[in-house]
Amino acid sequence: MSRSIRSPWFWLSAAALSLLALFVLYPLVNILTASFLGDGPSGWERFFTTAKYRDALVNTLLLASVVTVICTLIGVPLAYVTARYAFRGKALIALLPLITLVIPEVIAAQTWLMMLGNNGLITKFLREFGIRLPSFYGWFGLITSMSFIYYTYVYIGTVAAIRKFDVQLEEAAQSLGTAPSKSRIQVMVPVIMPTILASALLVFTMVVGNFAISSILAQRLPLLSVATYQAAVAEGSTNITMQSTLASVSVLIVMAVLFLNRWVVSRGRFEIVQGRGAPPQPLVGMSGALVAISAGLAVVISLLPLVTIVLGAFTQSVGPVMHWGQWTTDNLSRVFITAPGPLVNSLLYAGIATLISICFSALVSYLVVKKPNILTPWVDYISAIPLALSGTVLGVGLLASFNGGWLSLTGTSTIIVLAYIIRRMPFGMRNSQATLHNIPNSFEEASISLGVPPVATFFKVVLPVMMPAVASAAILTWTTSVAELSASILVYSGGRETLPIQVYRLIDSGLMAYASAYGVVLIAVILIPIIIATKVFRIEVLS
Amino acid sequence: MGIDIRNLTVTYGAEKVISDLSLTIPQGCFFTLLGPSGCGKTTLLRTIAGFVQASGGSLNFDATDVTRLPPHKRNIGMVFQDYALFPDKTVAQNVAYGLRARYEKGPAADRKVAEALDRVGLGHLGKRHPAALSGGQRQRVALARALVIKPAVLLMDEPLSNLDAKLRIQIRETISELQREANITTVFVTHDQEEALSMSDLIGVMNKGAVEQLGTPQDIYGRPRTSYVADFVGSANRLDVTLEHTDGSLLRANLGPATILATGTLAQAAQRGVLILRPEDLKISAAPRSDMQSLPAEVRRRQYLGSKTSYRLSLGNNVEVIAELHGPGHDGFAAGDRVSLGIDPAIARVISA
Repeated sequence: MSRSIRSPWFWLSAAALSLLALFVLYPLVNILTASFLGDGPSGWERFFTTAKYRDALVNTLLLASVVTVICTLIGVPLAYVTARYAFRGKALIALLPLITLVIPEVIAAQTWLMMLGNNGLITKFLREFGIRLPSFYGWFGLITSMSFIYYTYVYIGTVAAIRKFDVQLEEAAQSLGTAPSKSRIQVMVPVIMPTILASALLVFTMVVGNFAISSILAQRLPLLSVATYQAAVAEGSTNITMQSTLASVSVLIVMAVLFLNRWVVSRGRFEIVQGRGAPPQPLVGMSGALVAISAGLAVVISLLPLVTIVLGAFTQSVGPVMHWGQWTTDNLSRVFITAPGPLVNSLLYAGIATLISICFSALVSYLVVKKPNILTPWVDYISAIPLALSGTVLGVGLLASFNGGWLSLTGTSTIIVLAYIIRRMPFGMRNSQATLHNIPNSFEEASISLGVPPVATFFKVVLPVMMPAVASAAILTWTTSVAELSASILVYSGGRETLPIQVYRLIDSGLMAYASAYGVVLIAVILIPIIIATKVFRIEVLS
Repeated sequence: MGIDIRNLTVTYGAEKVISDLSLTIPQGCFFTLLGPSGCGKTTLLRTIAGFVQASGGSLNFDATDVTRLPPHKRNIGMVFQDYALFPDKTVAQNVAYGLRARYEKGPAADRKVAEALDRVGLGHLGKRHPAALSGGQRQRVALARALVIKPAVLLMDEPLSNLDAKLRIQIRETISELQREANITTVFVTHDQEEALSMSDLIGVMNKGAVEQLGTPQDIYGRPRTSYVADFVGSANRLDVTLEHTDGSLLRANLGPATILATGTLAQAAQRGVLILRPEDLKISAAPRSDMQSLPAEVRRRQYLGSKTSYRLSLGNNVEVIAELHGPGHDGFAAGDRVSLGIDPAIARVISA
């Protein structure tokens, strides 16, 4: 042990652990304790006696359950036909993961409103035929838009599970005298079930934590994340009892789901058995057409936001009224010339955050995987905590922790960058750790045996080999940071608006054309690095 | 540079992987650590390299105590089992890597790199990346990279185990040549006895964290001191015997169905021992031979192997030996034949049990 304390790695681990404790653990502890502190009745007392808060909890759980079920009903069959059959237009489905990545939730919500809101394109079109849709605000809009955004997570998880499912098991069942469809249900379903459940639970937590869509579409329907945000705005950062209570409720829900997830995964150990996947069977005739149409429909609906936002960005408007069919470039010139602040801010904050986050996660992953000591397991656990915190919860925690005192960050750009880093660092960590596990220790030993000291070896040998993975993690961190809304909207201050914040505020004021213009630029800022990375540098961003 | 290991102990947690091991490897020696997996040979090599810390004892390169020296300051050259070539660097950059760490740059260093690559026959491949090389070529690059820095000692961890049989023999020769040319003290780890016997000046056969026998290839094969060494190096019939009496340099041992004249180290009558018989040293004839002692036997099973035939013979009382015949007519006996087993006392060695 004395030897490990003398090594530089030990001190780096200690430094990483202190940073994580300060910026992840301390805010979390603040949230959980603040709900019991403060003037007047405790937050929990108010939570259980106020109808609005109780409703918010019930509504949130209900919404999450319904969306999870619908996502599973869309995602699993889509995954099954994609993995097992070949049909026309199948290549389009491969775009699904990309769509979820490039379209920020706030823009998805916006475009749904532009299509189906009170003045939406489709709403107005149908009204001419006397058909009146229910109001898109509230349950109808929330369930529809969230289902069509989050089903891709179920799809991605399930399609991978089915692809690596050993088809020999099915053949064995058939050889023992079970009909093909029956053997599939009896043999494949139990094996892929843990994956389906895990991705369904992921959807559940994402709905619980969702702020952008919830706050734009919920209107008068109380929801937990929106109530937390409103409490934070109302209370400010001096008296944080109610926001902390509501944030604690979210944390408790997510923790319960994570425990459930662990239990599901631990029961699904047999899932590890990998094998030869089944080659896709061609699907022709009626069933082929039917499958192609329904799969195509799912993709088209997911792609719709992209089309709408581009149309909106070039459409003339007067206040909230859109003049569809009349084109202009005024909206875009506003983004670049009249009010370029949000664009500049976004590029700056997300750029700095990506840089720091990538360096930190590369170093910490290296410590955890290659230089384990008594501290590194804690580094590993704590750096995964942000995965379980919604942006709103993190925002509340940062406000509660760094408002005044020896480290006062409220109102600075630093706190926005910090929010980005904390929320997105786990992605980089996961990516780097996976790569490091694949780099044999003998690389480092070879370098050391040739006379290069250990720390220099990391930079000369390990880092170059990690580079492709680091680059893809950087792209992922960049895209998700640029799109970040729920934490930054709580911690930002006047003049430090980012693109998503600006879009959100414009939607709030009903200025859809301007919102679309900022939205198009936001999507471009996300998409361009991905395209350059995949086409020019041949980096696998989606693996 | 010679390597001097004194009372070396290495522990992983509570488990002693190497206990109290002492060993001297003279300058310029090709020394092989031979043993099955888990015997501690790789741990010992990695301790010499410095990747594993000794928990006791000392390790000297000539007069310098390197026990506490970190590996990058030991001036070693190491060849890894999976080669560990840096995938992002070209062949030439891989070889130049150790020189750069020693601040050798420019034309002089380039010349050394080119020379080292020429030496292993890869002078034309310097600009390639390791992924574009075959297994044997990668092995040569690894060797060039380790040798170009003129290390004090060369350490090789099963460097041939990932190659196919023909290539293995080729590279074996390359390694031997380069080692002799550079006259560099070399520690070579392998579980392959043929590699060990063909390449080494000295072999240490390892078992459970200790060197069980240290000697030249001829010693190890011809005069195994323990039944473990006899069995691990080459194949051997091992028969339990009891000493009847000694007769000058010879001794008479009782193996149940018969007694046999043998050489050995047992001294007291009634002492129990193990008789070691190499299958290829045994003779089979239809009738007893006059030039050596013969035991009656019956052929139980015959296995034809092309260049030789292996026979399982029963001597009675459930005592069986394997004998291999080479040369013309080696497949001339069949199962069920009653034959005569000829044993020269000089090749029959009795060691203590």
